[in-house]
Amino acid sequence: MSGAAGFFEDLFRGLLQGTPPGAVYALIALGFVLTYKTSGVFNLAFGAQAYISAAMYFKTHTLWGWPKWAALVVSAFVLAPLIGLVLERLIFRHLRTASAVSKLVVAIGLSVALPELFNQAARFTAVAGRQISGIMPDGAGVFYDPFGVYRFNRDELAMMAVALIATLLLAALFRFTMIGLAMRAVVESPRMTGLSGINADRVSAVAWALSSTFAGLAGVLIAPRFNSLISTEFFMLVVIAVAAAAVGKLVSLPRALLGGLGLGWFIAVFNTFLPRWSGDHTWLRPFQENLTPSLPFVVLFAVLVLWRAIGREREASDPLSGVDPPPPALAALERHPKLTLFTRLFGVGFIAVVGSVVWFRAGVLWMHLVTTAVIMSVIYLSVTVITGMAGQISLCQGTFAAIGGFTIFQMADRFNLSVLAAALLGAGVAAAVGAVLSLPVLRLGGVWLAIATLAFAFFFDAVMVKFSWVGGGTTALLTGTRVPRPLVGPVDFASDRAFLVLAVVVLVIVSIVVIQLREGTVGRTLTALRGSEVAAASIGISAARARIVAFAMSAAIAGLGGALLSMHQQNVNYSTNFGPVNALFWLVIVVALGARTVEGAIQAGAAFALFEPLILKGDLLAWILRGEDHLPGLFPMSGSWRLVLFGLMAIQFARHPEGLVEHGKRRASARINQWLEAER
Amino acid sequence: MTALLDASGVSVAFSGILALDDVSVSVQAGERVGLIGPNGAGKTTLFNCLLGILRPDSGRVTLNGVDVGGWPVHRRARAGMGRTFQRVELFSDTTVREHLLIAERVRNGTGAFWKDLVGLGRPRPEEVAASEEVLELLGIAELAAKPVESLSLGQSRLVEVGRALMTGPQILLLDEPSSGLDRDETQALAATLRAVQDSKGYAVLLVEHDVSLVADFTERAYVLDSGALIAGGATGDVLADPAVRRAYLGSFEVS
Ligand SMILES: Nc1ncnc2c1ncn2[C@@H]1O[C@H](COP(=O)(O)OP(=O)(O)O)[C@@H](O)[C@H]1O
Ligand SMILES: [Mg+2]
Repeated sequence: MSGAAGFFEDLFRGLLQGTPPGAVYALIALGFVLTYKTSGVFNLAFGAQAYISAAMYFKTHTLWGWPKWAALVVSAFVLAPLIGLVLERLIFRHLRTASAVSKLVVAIGLSVALPELFNQAARFTAVAGRQISGIMPDGAGVFYDPFGVYRFNRDELAMMAVALIATLLLAALFRFTMIGLAMRAVVESPRMTGLSGINADRVSAVAWALSSTFAGLAGVLIAPRFNSLISTEFFMLVVIAVAAAAVGKLVSLPRALLGGLGLGWFIAVFNTFLPRWSGDHTWLRPFQENLTPSLPFVVLFAVLVLWRAIGREREASDPLSGVDPPPPALAALERHPKLTLFTRLFGVGFIAVVGSVVWFRAGVLWMHLVTTAVIMSVIYLSVTVITGMAGQISLCQGTFAAIGGFTIFQMADRFNLSVLAAALLGAGVAAAVGAVLSLPVLRLGGVWLAIATLAFAFFFDAVMVKFSWVGGGTTALLTGTRVPRPLVGPVDFASDRAFLVLAVVVLVIVSIVVIQLREGTVGRTLTALRGSEVAAASIGISAARARIVAFAMSAAIAGLGGALLSMHQQNVNYSTNFGPVNALFWLVIVVALGARTVEGAIQAGAAFALFEPLILKGDLLAWILRGEDHLPGLFPMSGSWRLVLFGLMAIQFARHPEGLVEHGKRRASARINQWLEAER
Repeated sequence: MTALLDASGVSVAFSGILALDDVSVSVQAGERVGLIGPNGAGKTTLFNCLLGILRPDSGRVTLNGVDVGGWPVHRRARAGMGRTFQRVELFSDTTVREHLLIAERVRNGTGAFWKDLVGLGRPRPEEVAASEEVLELLGIAELAAKPVESLSLGQSRLVEVGRALMTGPQILLLDEPSSGLDRDETQALAATLRAVQDSKGYAVLLVEHDVSLVADFTERAYVLDSGALIAGGATGDVLADPAVRRAYLGSFEVS
C-alpha cells in the first residue's frame, strides 16, 4: 500500500461517497428541526411520511408508468405537504399546550398508523428485492467522475442538487418573505413570538407543509439506496434525522444541516476504513459486520449520553402556545362501593365464563390465541410500570423481552438449565440491563429518554443480536432459536393446556406485584415524580433512584414475558416478536387502551392477540349473524387495520393519558355513581 | 451558636452578569426571617442556591454547621429543608391527603420495594393520623379527599405548606407565597402560617416582594438589590432604612 497518499485518497473517496446520502439526511434533519422548533412536536412520524412519498412515487412512476417529473410532483410536492397540513390542522394544532412527551406519543402512534393507512388506501404492498428507480432518467446507470476517485451516478448528483436547492430556497424564504421572517423569529427566539403579533396558526401550518415536503423529498431521493420499499426501513431515516438534529441540540438549522452531512461522511469513511483495520485486528471483525448498519444509532446514543448540555436543555414546549398548560383532567371520583363490588363480580364472572369456554371448547388455534393474549398482557404490564406509573416513554421494551427469550434459548441450548429457572434468570438479566441502561439516560428525561431507548433498541437489533452468545449466530440460522417448554417434576407444560395455566399463573403473580407496587411506596413516589419533579425533590425524593427501580422492574417484567412468549412459540422468533418497531406498537396499544391500570394492560394483550381473528376476520360478526354467508363483503379485513386503529387511538393520549377505555370507564363510573347517590 | 442555615459569600453569574454578588445570610433555629427586594434583585437565585437547585460560583452554604454545598436537592430536603413554590407545584392526579401521605412516607421509606411486594407499602393508620393532624392545623381538613386540581390557588399554597410540614422540616423556605393572591387571601395565609409556625417551631425564610407580608410576619429581614445585600437587621429598622426605600423607589408605605 502506498502509505499516506493512499490514505488521503481513500479518505477523499469516503467523503465524496458520503455526500449524497449526507445531503438527504441534512434535508430530513432540517425538516425535523423546523417542526420541532415551531410546534414542539418531536415528529417520529417523519419516517412514515417519507415512506408514503417514496411509495407514491413508486406507484405512480413504476407501476402506472407516469413520467418521472409528474410522479415527483404528485408524491413530494402535493401529497407530502398535504399530509403535513392535515396532521397540523386535525391533530397538532389542538395539542399546542400538551406536554412534549404526549406529543411524542401522538407522533409514535402516527408513525405506526400512517404507512398502513396509505398501504390500505392506495392498495400498496411492500416491495422487496427490487431496484427502486430514482428521479433521474437512467439514474443508476450513468456515471460522472469529477475528481477521478469516486464515480457519482446521476441519482446521487440529483440528491445533492435537490438538497442544495431546497436548502437555498428555505434560506431565501427565511430572508425575504413575511411568513419566513415570522418563522425565523419563532425558531430563533420562541419567547418573542407572543409579543410580536405573529399569526401562530399560519406559521405552524406553513412550517408543517414545508417540513413534510422535505420529508417527502428525502423519501423519494433515498429510496433507490434501499432496494426495497418497506416502511420500517424508512423509520430508520427518522432516527438518522434525530441524530443529525441532536448535533445541533435541535435548535439550530445550520447545525442540523452540518449534522446530516457529517453523518453521511462519517458513515462512508467508517465503512471505508473499518474493513482494513479489522483485517489487522481480528477482534474487530464482528463489529465490522454488525456495526456499520447501526452507526446512526450508535452516534445518536453517544450524542445523547455524552453531550451533557442536552439533558439540561429545557424541553421545547410549543413556542406558539404562549400560555401555561391547562390543568389536567380531574382524577376519577371516588367510586361507590356498590359499583366496585359489581364490577369485581362482573370481572370474575366474565373471566370464569371465558376461561371455561376456552378450557372445554377451544380448539388448537383458539388455545394458542388466548395463550398469546395472556403472555402479551404480561409484557404490557412492563409498559404499565414504566409509562403508566413512572411516566417515562421507553421504546426498548421489545429488547428487554428479547433478552428474556434469548437467555432461555442460550441456557437451555448450552447448559441444559431448567427452562423455568432460565426464565427467571432472563428476567434478572433484563432487569440488570435495564438498570445499567437507565444510568446514562436517566438525566435525559422526557423526549430524550424515549429517543435514547429507541437508539438502544436499534443498536441491539443491528449489533447484539448478531453475536452468537446472544442470538445464536450461524447455528441459529440453520435451526432457529429453539426453546423447549418447561418440565417441572411430574408436570409437563409441553401440552398447550398446561402451558396456558402456567401463563395465567404468571400473569396473576405479575399483576399482583404491579398492584402492590402501585399502591405502595414505589408507586406513590413515582406518581409524585410524574406530577412534579421539582416538588418531589423538595420533599426528599431521589428521582434517579426511583427511576432506576422503575426501569429495572419494567425490564424484568418484559424479560419474563419475552421468555414466556418464546416458550409458547418454542422459538425466540426475534424479528417477528421483538424487533424495535414492534416495541413502538406495544407502546401505542397500551397507551391507547389504558397505561395506568392492570386491566388496561390485559385489555391491550387481548386486543393484540384477538382483535385480528375476532373482529377483522369477521368471526365475531359471523357468530352474531349466525353464519359466514351473511358477512358483508368487507370481510375478512387486512390485519394492518389493527395498526391503523390503535395508532390513531394513541393520538388521544395527549388528552386522556389514562387511555381511552380507562377514560370511558371513569366517565361511566362517575355517571353510575351520581345515579347511585341519587337513589339514596 | 451555629446558625441553622447559613450562606456566606455566595456569588452567581449568568453569562458574565452577576446575579448575586458576595451575599451572606443566616437563619437561626425557630427564627422568622424575610428576604425582600424588587423584581430581578436575585431573590430566586439565592433561594435556589440555598436549596441546591443552583450551584453558586463561590461561597458556602451550611446547614447546622455542615457544608451542604455538594448535596443534591433531595438530600437537603431530607436534612430538614422544606419549601413551597412561587408557581404552585402539586402532584397531579392525586388527592390532598395522598399528597401529605407521600411526603410522610419519604422520611421512613427504606427498603420500600420489598415492603411493597409483601403489602406493607400502603398508608398506615398512624401516617393517616399524622396527615389529618397537619390538615387540621392548616384548616383544610375538609379538603382531604379532593383532587388537587380542584383547589383554589390559596388552598393549593396551603397544601404545599402541608406537604413540606409532613417531612418535619427544621426550616421552611417560602417563595413569594402571596403572588397571585389578593389582599384578603394574603392576610388569611399569613395568619395560618403564623399560627402553624407558633405551634411547630420551625424556622422560616420568607422570600417576598410584598413588603407588608414581610413586615407582619418576620422578625428579621435582608434586602437584596441588583444582586447585592443592601441591608439586614430587625424588620422594622430595615424597612425604615432610606437606602431600602430608595431601592423600592417609594413603592410601598410602612404603616
Ligand atoms: N437562568 C438564568 N439565566 C440567566 N439569567 C438569569 C437566570 N436566572 C435569573 N437570571 C437573572 O438574574 C437576575 C436575578 O433574577 P432572580 O433571582 O429571578 O430575581 P428575583 O427573584 O429577585 O426577581 C435577573 O437579572 C435575571 O434576569
Ligand atoms: Mg423570583
